[in-house]
Amino acid sequence: MLASLLSATLVGLEGRVIRVEVDVAPGLPGFTIVGLGDASVREARERVRGAIRNAGFVHPPRRITVNLAPADLPKSGSAGDLAIAIGILVGSEQFTPAAGRVALVGELSLGGEVRRPPGLLPMVAAIARRGVARVIVPADAAAEARLVPGIEVVAAATLGEVVAILRSRRRAGPATTARVDLSVAAPAPFTGAGGPPSLVPIGEVPDLAEVHGQREARRALEVALAGGHALLLVGPPGTGKTLLARTIPGLLPDLGDEEALAVTIVASAAGDGRIDGLIRRPPFRAPHHTTSYAAMVGGGPHLTPGEVTRADHGTLFLDELAEFSRDVLEALRQPLEDGRVDIVRAGRAATMPARFQLIAAMNPCPCGLAGFDIGCACGESVIDRYQRRISGPLRDRIDLWVRMPRMPAHLLIGAPEPEGSAAVAARIAEARARQLSRPGRQLNVRVAGRALRRVSRLTPATIASLIALAEGERLSGRGADRLLRVARTIADLDGAEAVAEAHLHEAARWRLPGGRPIAALAS
Amino acid sequence: MIGIGEAGPTGGARATGLEEREAVAVLLSVQHLGPMTLARLIAGCGSAAAVVEAATASGGAARLVACTPHDHVDRPLAVDLASAIVDAAVRAGQLLDRTRALGLALVLPGDPSYPARLRTIELPPPLLFVRGDEAALNAVHAVGVVGTRRPSDAGRRVATRLGAALAGAGALVVSGLAVGIDGATHAAVVAAGGRTLAFIGGGHGRLFPAAHDRLADAIVAAGGAIASEYAPDTEPTTGTFPRRNRLISGAADAVVVVEAGARSGALVTASWALEQGRECFLVPGPIDAPMSAGCLGFLRDWPGAARIVSGIPQLLDDLGLPAAAALPARRLPSPDARSFVRPAGTLAAIATLRPDDQPLARAIADGAATVDELVAVCGLPVGAVLGALTRLESAALVTARHGRYEAAGALLGAATTRRPPRASARPALPPAA
Repeated sequence: MLASLLSATLVGLEGRVIRVEVDVAPGLPGFTIVGLGDASVREARERVRGAIRNAGFVHPPRRITVNLAPADLPKSGSAGDLAIAIGILVGSEQFTPAAGRVALVGELSLGGEVRRPPGLLPMVAAIARRGVARVIVPADAAAEARLVPGIEVVAAATLGEVVAILRSRRRAGPATTARVDLSVAAPAPFTGAGGPPSLVPIGEVPDLAEVHGQREARRALEVALAGGHALLLVGPPGTGKTLLARTIPGLLPDLGDEEALAVTIVASAAGDGRIDGLIRRPPFRAPHHTTSYAAMVGGGPHLTPGEVTRADHGTLFLDELAEFSRDVLEALRQPLEDGRVDIVRAGRAATMPARFQLIAAMNPCPCGLAGFDIGCACGESVIDRYQRRISGPLRDRIDLWVRMPRMPAHLLIGAPEPEGSAAVAARIAEARARQLSRPGRQLNVRVAGRALRRVSRLTPATIASLIALAEGERLSGRGADRLLRVARTIADLDGAEAVAEAHLHEAARWRLPGGRPIAALAS
Repeated sequence: MIGIGEAGPTGGARATGLEEREAVAVLLSVQHLGPMTLARLIAGCGSAAAVVEAATASGGAARLVACTPHDHVDRPLAVDLASAIVDAAVRAGQLLDRTRALGLALVLPGDPSYPARLRTIELPPPLLFVRGDEAALNAVHAVGVVGTRRPSDAGRRVATRLGAALAGAGALVVSGLAVGIDGATHAAVVAAGGRTLAFIGGGHGRLFPAAHDRLADAIVAAGGAIASEYAPDTEPTTGTFPRRNRLISGAADAVVVVEAGARSGALVTASWALEQGRECFLVPGPIDAPMSAGCLGFLRDWPGAARIVSGIPQLLDDLGLPAAAALPARRLPSPDARSFVRPAGTLAAIATLRPDDQPLARAIADGAATVDELVAVCGLPVGAVLGALTRLESAALVTARHGRYEAAGALLGAATTRRPPRASARPALPPAA
């Protein structure tokens, strides 16, 4: 007998509804799965067989053929296990389901428990978009599935429970309350579901009060976070680059509904563990400098999201930037420019969001001591070559370049404790709110061209200053835009409606090196 | 161009084809043709133009061999060298096009703009390829400043101050456009609005280091010049730089070595200076600093001949330069001295600034170097300090390096008489509000 059920698979960050057809026919016992499944799908045979037997059902000694439709869509992962097992039970007439459309998403254990597959949230969202009324999901992932509106989520812990649910029309599990709309067009207010879980345990985030001295870098970090600008910290080891960057999770405000949903979807698809509600804290990703190309941009056989996507709406911190391989750094250009990454592999393509903020740190030279009278063994050409590992196009996308000098001892020891994270975070949140209240509702980093000049409210005097800076530093059009954008953020931190000359001059402090006056031309 | 005239391939039309200076340029582009052989060749044929003429005639190589005098000391002209000369002569047009494309002037020893000091040295270059203002080749006072390509920060600071002071005193600063001391000196002179002359160790088309192309542009834009005795496409090699060094010392009245390692090429320049009868000054340093070892060793090896630099005003005094009076007699600005009398030039420079920027300029002139120190000294918010630093940097009064800020230009106290370069390109950002 033939059974046909709905399930879903994950392609990149998107769920796709698939139809699972199970034919249990007389003949030599066998179990075949067709429909472009990968190794994890083929291995479903063993999981399904074990789960059926250990849940107290009979694995029929007949010829079983499973077809995953549409046939041309490659499927991966274990989310279809549950549908295949139920299909076999229905096909071998071990039970008869009550009428009604229902989809099943879940991985099976050999013992018959239903487990959470990665990407449950986008898969349930796809099922809801298809107009299916009910979905059965693993009990430990019910909270995640219930973030999707417009579909009844039924939780089941074991294969036996699933059969019981399908056999009766009994509604299992509590009715859902917390909902947000998945479509960006009509955002619904988020009503709150549990506490905000965080990808980064708050306990590990150092407070800004631990960073002594380095006022210039602290100020630059505040400006960068307030406007979403890319920031590069250059300094010898021990000056606090990494410490400064690690304070970032404590400085950023909570995400809005749309952003939180996007972050939660990525976390779900990436399999970042149990999700109990919308993730409200911006992600902070700090991949090691040996990170591979595929791990950075995403890809692989399942189009897994890479670090740039996992840092969406958050921070991508690249420590030792010059040590990353050139390919990996070049791959950051598109996401930095467009806020997304297009991954094309043979026969498949995916577009994933990557609206991260780049924070990077590097030493000035291989030994790290350039600029100090003692110890640097690197020749000028070595230093130059090291710094040129950051290619021109990437340099061009970094708004703030900050040199961190080594601090004299008297500024570190016995100095009054500097401002802590809470005060700075409040200023950042205020400046961000100011930006989001303007037409366009975007952080300054994404404002350009005419819109940028409009929100900057330049006067003839400030226009003259901008021209003077641009000409004096030989800035390109993009460079002048970048200067103005940073100045707009400084004005926002200042609470000013219009960009003033002082804001422009402060912003020019962190411009791209190379546009400096002649005295700096000698290397 | 070389043409074939009515009188046939050996006729007079060819002689009008190349000027003497162009012919010398062609001969200089021949690899492995040394200065001695070149001199014999020209002596034998009468002129460089005649050499090229002979080379392009039929059987050119044999003619060249025949007309080169030789005796038991000077061997006859090698045949493969002769054919290399013929090749160069045939491609003369290409070379001259390249020279024009690079905007190079060809200066012969007989020309009035040829550096007069170079005429007095042994083996003066038979021709200089010059980019920029030829007037920069000669000056009443010319001082060479050289040093290591890997200076310490202290060395770089001395080179910067020295360059600014010499420019302020009106001297032409001669150096080698290398990274390190040379580059810092050139840049300081240009920033102070002075003229500087760079002798490079290769052809103009193979600028080394390539990273200094913008510095070279700035030198030319500020009225200085880049000169080379090598044809435009000559590759710089380990042999060309020591040979070039004799020109740096030769074109100057005195040479100052700022920092040099034990086997630095800067010491070669210092040796040339002594040999050519130029004055030679060396900046001393700690005895355990590797980049002072060369200077200290030279001072020890040449007592009486090599002189010590005890301070920049003293050096200007020793050189007989006029601006010495403008500088304080005793103390030099040092970033580590927290209280000293600011030079008159520094005070004058500070007075021209807008009032908000004056405390900051004073603090930097007194030696505060990081933003943290400036915030502590001036009591201004960090944003205001950063904005003011931009204004001071735009006015070339402050340089930034590795997050530290140092006084430059007029803020160092050197009296500059000329306007800073590119001042016209910077209409606003007035130093005075």
